[in-house]
Amino acid sequence: MAATKHEKRVGGVYLRELGGALLVYMVLLVAAIRFGRPMADGALRTIVLLSPMIGFCLGLWAIARHLNRVDEYVRNFLLESFALGAGLTAGLTFSYGFLETAGYPKLSMFAVWMVLCGATGLVCTVRSLRQR
Amino acid sequence: MKNRIRELRAGQGWSQADLAEKLDVSRQSVNAIETGRYDPSLPLAFAISRLFGLPVEAIFTPDQETA
Repeated sequence: MAATKHEKRVGGVYLRELGGALLVYMVLLVAAIRFGRPMADGALRTIVLLSPMIGFCLGLWAIARHLNRVDEYVRNFLLESFALGAGLTAGLTFSYGFLETAGYPKLSMFAVWMVLCGATGLVCTVRSLRQR
Repeated sequence: MKNRIRELRAGQGWSQADLAEKLDVSRQSVNAIETGRYDPSLPLAFAISRLFGLPVEAIFTPDQETA
């Protein structure tokens, strides 16, 4: 079924803004790996290695702007899904903290972000399927 | 909240996508409202009311009247 004008307008702007943020993130990530890692320890190295977060923050801004553009039902659906995804992530990472005490391998904090993305995606998918 | 949107929309010969287009919302919203999964905000309820030329209370009725 073809998208309505509202869906096309909102989706198009979101894709452009999120795509731009992802591009900034990728460029800064490559630059941080290429130039930041070999640098001597210090404030400048920390800033360079942290620089991909500028792209990440732009991504968050794109998502926040998207939430302001979508209609009220979709906003409600997305915010509920984000909350459930965050709750699921908290449960999973908290559980893994206990498992680490039980001898499971220590994981990087980067894993939390991946779990959050996976949990939120899973919640959105399951809720969308249930509403069909 | 119950509503007569599906019946009113069918009366006009509109699809859910047509109604979504006229209200400038997504099709998911129209579907969720028609199936009673979502109660629209007052501004959207008034937009629906204007579109069908009926008062809000002629389109939406509470599940249970409160005192």
